[in-house]
Amino acid sequence: MTAFRITICAVFALALLTSTGVAVQVPDTLKAGKADLKSAGAMAFGPNGLLFVGDSMGGMIYALDTQDRTASQATAVEVTGMTGQIAAMLGTTGDQIQVNDIAVNPVSRKTYVSVSRGLGPDAAAVIVRIDTAGKLEALSLENIRHSSVVLPNPVNPSTGGRGGNRRLQAITDLAFVDNRVFVAGLSNEEFSSTLRAIPYPFTAVDKGTSVEIWHASHNQFETNSPIRTFLPYKVNNEQTILASYTCTPLVKVPVSSLKPGSKVMGTTIAEFGAGNTPLDMIAYNKGGQNFILMSNTTHGIMKFSADGLEKFESITTRVPGTGGVPFERIASITNVAQMDQFDAQRAMVLTRTGDLRTVALP
Amino acid sequence: MLVVVARGVLAACLLLFLQSPSIRFDSGRNLFLLENWSGAAQLWPERGKEVFTVSVDAPNVPPLLGRYRIENKTLIFEPQFPLQPGVSYRAVAKIPGATAPVFLLLRIPKPNMTPTTVVDRVYPSSNVLPENQLKFYIHFSSPMARGSAYDHVSLVDASGKKVEKPFLELGEELWDPSGRRFTLFIDPGRIKRGLLSHHELGVALLEGKRYSLVVSKEWKDAQGRLLASDFKKTFTVGPADRNTVDLKSWTVRAPAAGTRNVLTVVFPEPMDHAILERELDVVTEAGAVIKGGVSVGSGEKSWIFTPDAAWKSGTYSIRAGTSLADLAGNMIDRPFEIDVFERVDNNLDRTTRSLQFKIN
Repeated sequence: MTAFRITICAVFALALLTSTGVAVQVPDTLKAGKADLKSAGAMAFGPNGLLFVGDSMGGMIYALDTQDRTASQATAVEVTGMTGQIAAMLGTTGDQIQVNDIAVNPVSRKTYVSVSRGLGPDAAAVIVRIDTAGKLEALSLENIRHSSVVLPNPVNPSTGGRGGNRRLQAITDLAFVDNRVFVAGLSNEEFSSTLRAIPYPFTAVDKGTSVEIWHASHNQFETNSPIRTFLPYKVNNEQTILASYTCTPLVKVPVSSLKPGSKVMGTTIAEFGAGNTPLDMIAYNKGGQNFILMSNTTHGIMKFSADGLEKFESITTRVPGTGGVPFERIASITNVAQMDQFDAQRAMVLTRTGDLRTVALP
Repeated sequence: MLVVVARGVLAACLLLFLQSPSIRFDSGRNLFLLENWSGAAQLWPERGKEVFTVSVDAPNVPPLLGRYRIENKTLIFEPQFPLQPGVSYRAVAKIPGATAPVFLLLRIPKPNMTPTTVVDRVYPSSNVLPENQLKFYIHFSSPMARGSAYDHVSLVDASGKKVEKPFLELGEELWDPSGRRFTLFIDPGRIKRGLLSHHELGVALLEGKRYSLVVSKEWKDAQGRLLASDFKKTFTVGPADRNTVDLKSWTVRAPAAGTRNVLTVVFPEPMDHAILERELDVVTEAGAVIKGGVSVGSGEKSWIFTPDAAWKSGTYSIRAGTSLADLAGNMIDRPFEIDVFERVDNNLDRTTRSLQFKIN
């Protein structure tokens, strides 16, 4: 469900730095021990094999040291029936697990899959790693170098226990940008958009800042509906969050405007059509042009140019169906449930039938 | 003589049989045991999988995750997760030097699947909902299974016709930690905004019409059992509500000092049940929170507070978090949608609002 987590430049930088053995400058505050995830959902890679995992049930973000730092030049991976194979590893059947996200380590090109073993509230959190030969192994969470941060639950502290404290924040997407983990969440009570920026390394006292992003939706109205997926991307050399919502407006927000506790007006630069939920976005360069690929629940795969996004004016008037940034539907890639960047030429997709495979970026 | 020899051969065969490597499942401890194999004593546990594996009984699947250990010359495999009722497992031991592997095929019986879980209640409880109704909370009597919620809820009109795609379908599925409360948002793109909805499918709810929220009994609980019965909540649709929640419109029914009688706050409209449960409290003039129990009144139109200790005379406040919302998602000082751009930056600068009252 998560988007490509790092800007394309950052990926190349990481690959370069790690392949040449130069450590990326992120202080190491990880401690070995059990990473007691209550659930494993949205994931994103940071530098040096560091995997950020959203734990919605526990209300936490974990940073896990996968120790997966060996560069690979693999170009194709295919695991037919991946979901069934993972289920078998976990001693159950495919209908008794949920695959929550995939994330490809940009250096090793191994695919990490976050899974719930079981469908009830006591489902176990599992992360499975798939190498470029298609071999599956579980990432042991029993003794792994890790750190974590608790996400604030904005329940009135004096009344928080009432009603059994049923509020949960589903973590819909996360990304690591410039030593901050950006987290988009969706509450099971309020309907609102909060993007939280948490400095990394995590500290007990700094749980980051939250920002409300408002946007025009469909016509002159503004909502602060929840972000479904987002992509950190440099628009005209300015670090920007490209956020997509249900009903598929695309909204850009400069990271510099995300001030603590602020309410920000995002710029709606595209309407990709209603009756649809965006799933993942990845950015790539092909033939000297920059593109963004977006997977969706009902609109399939869309591709649009990422060059000149700064030139699009905010959509503030009624749009009949779609409008703003022009896009192209990609008919050659279908049935995508999860998507992440594999390398500069390929995406990794998990199909709705549970097959994992690399596909050429269109 | 022949009989004695025959007996001896039989005994030797029996002994040989008894001492042949064999696999046993210890259901009480969730362990697979490879017994009567002398090589176990010399084996490092981490090499156990080279000899002994357990997998789901299906072709071309990887072995179960788990740990090996050796106890009393027995190689033991402990699966990481409990075995799944209704699933068959195949344990295979490939003993070095043996001509054929040793097998155990094990089927874990399914438990009693008699449905018992039901929909307990749905909020809002009112039978009249605004045209821009935002969400439902569906409460179940037992924890439910995730992953198929939207296949089992529907909105039907008075003629029994299903409204097409009325809900916001989110892969995460919004459950509470117990798995017993499901939050179902109406797709905001299907909620009437201003004069017209933008969505090509039109609006989900129309003023003056009657609808039913239907929960199918095919929805499975966390034990894999169907619900005991279908559930239906029928309601009519009233005008859209675009007004903010206004504390000045609330009525406080204050009890007498010296009693532990309830304090009741009455609202002119139903409030969001979940947020109402947690977003109000009673504070003294000095700002101290009064401890007590809370319940939500009929139709979510009142909030009832029972103090732990007797009331003292004085000035108090009802303190409300600004995320308190009505059925359409309008909050304190903030409608669900804002149609004037400049107002975004003028938005709420405080997280609570207060309403004063006296106890005499």
